[in-house]
Amino acid sequence: MILKRKKKYLQIALNSTPYEAREIITRLPFSERILIEAGTPLIKIYGRRAISEIKDTAPEGSYIVADTKCVDLALRDVNMAAEAGARAVTCLGVAPVETINRFIEECQKIGIDSMVDMMNVEDPVSVLKELKKPPDIVVLHRGVDETEFSKEKQIPFYQINQIKDNFDIFVSVAGGDTIDEVQRAMLNGADIIVVWRAFYQSTAETSKLAEEFLKEIR
Amino acid sequence: MLNRRQKYLQIAFNRTLEEVAVMINSLPLSKRIIIEAGYPLIKTYGTYAISAINNFWEQRVLTPNNYKFKKSFWARGIKSWPSLFEALLKTEELEESESISPKEERFRKIEKKKSEIEKTPFIPYIIADLKCMDRAFTEVEAAASAGASAATCLGLAPLETVNEFIRKCEEIGIDSILDMMNIEYPFEILSKLIQPPKIVMLHRGVDEGEENKEKEVPYHEIERIKSVYDDVLIAVAGGETINEVITGAFNDADIIVVWRLFNENPERVTTITDEFLKEVK
Repeated sequence: MILKRKKKYLQIALNSTPYEAREIITRLPFSERILIEAGTPLIKIYGRRAISEIKDTAPEGSYIVADTKCVDLALRDVNMAAEAGARAVTCLGVAPVETINRFIEECQKIGIDSMVDMMNVEDPVSVLKELKKPPDIVVLHRGVDETEFSKEKQIPFYQINQIKDNFDIFVSVAGGDTIDEVQRAMLNGADIIVVWRAFYQSTAETSKLAEEFLKEIR
Repeated sequence: MLNRRQKYLQIAFNRTLEEVAVMINSLPLSKRIIIEAGYPLIKTYGTYAISAINNFWEQRVLTPNNYKFKKSFWARGIKSWPSLFEALLKTEELEESESISPKEERFRKIEKKKSEIEKTPFIPYIIADLKCMDRAFTEVEAAASAGASAATCLGLAPLETVNEFIRKCEEIGIDSILDMMNIEYPFEILSKLIQPPKIVMLHRGVDEGEENKEKEVPYHEIERIKSVYDDVLIAVAGGETINEVITGAFNDADIIVVWRLFNENPERVTTITDEFLKEVK
């Protein structure tokens, strides 16, 4: 895995436009603990250039995540993202097991990190147990639509330790954008916190917000 | 937008846009053809893939007489390209000649075909294979504004997403397709929805099919779904051979989705489409 085992990371998902993405990136403080994500809407609307433009704008050596949410044709997704400059790619945990296995194997072969996104997966441990080998990172994820239409739905923080008890892998948490949710995720042992709402558009506060999140993520 | 009494052949394109342009230009004109901007193509080019494909097919369908045979890198090597429209272009020159020959008779037949085509224009139908998993509102809007007639959502997406996807498609006036890839009991998902989608797609993924040869497209679900949701059309994806296409049609699927044969044999697009259209009736 490219990420360092003992560090905690802030992953900033960029979902608006390539222009906003550039503006936000230039305002971010320099930290190797910041991971920059080319979000799914950005990739679906602008294609692979969303990934390569983010890579070109970000400081040299930045860790770029391509949120491709692969569900089939794993080899094509992984290679497209890697060629565009991503150092990690995502695959859905609800994808066929054959796809997830191919995805993880291909990521390992070309030297980028594999992330399996457990959105709408009730029992992530059982999905992981079916795989030939586990991914580098598991993402526990409450979707945007889920959050909006079912306010009572909670991010399953308890699953962080369930996963860590069974596998020696990183756990990332996505879907909680408040400082309170970030703190809860950290308390429960998350390694990466994914945020997007506060970074949808570039503002004068962008830099300060990133600093504040980084302070909580230790 | 689709006719319930008709069977359709959905062709998913996944090569580069330059190649796809040539392939679409080689398609026979049939209202039973549905064009899909494939999921890898959208990830590579974004929604531009949808609008570009929409333009290629629209030009092909609405202005068949302006058809120009574009020579591609693979077509150059094939001397006997069986293009009806190449012949159509020659027809006008031949009409000036007074000699009567079997050749001319052939061209007269082509001329007849040409006028038939002109009389039956149809509205091109384009599917954006988004495989939506979240943010249904944004994805449906993006696909529709790029010119899609329908878009796909994963049956495995959160229920909130699927419901919002179907609602937004209806509001904006495009067809909703629910892709049941990796779902053992599609019926269970359908029964939980506020309203059913316009089309249900029974789907064996490419990776699944290659790694697990014994995995089959669940044709048996077609009748089961139709018996309860009589307004829903059923598409089947993942079967690529002519036999599988026949099986899909035999089991009463309304739409048969194919991609591999087309994308692996771009120079044979015309022939393959004609063969498949014959079976999908």
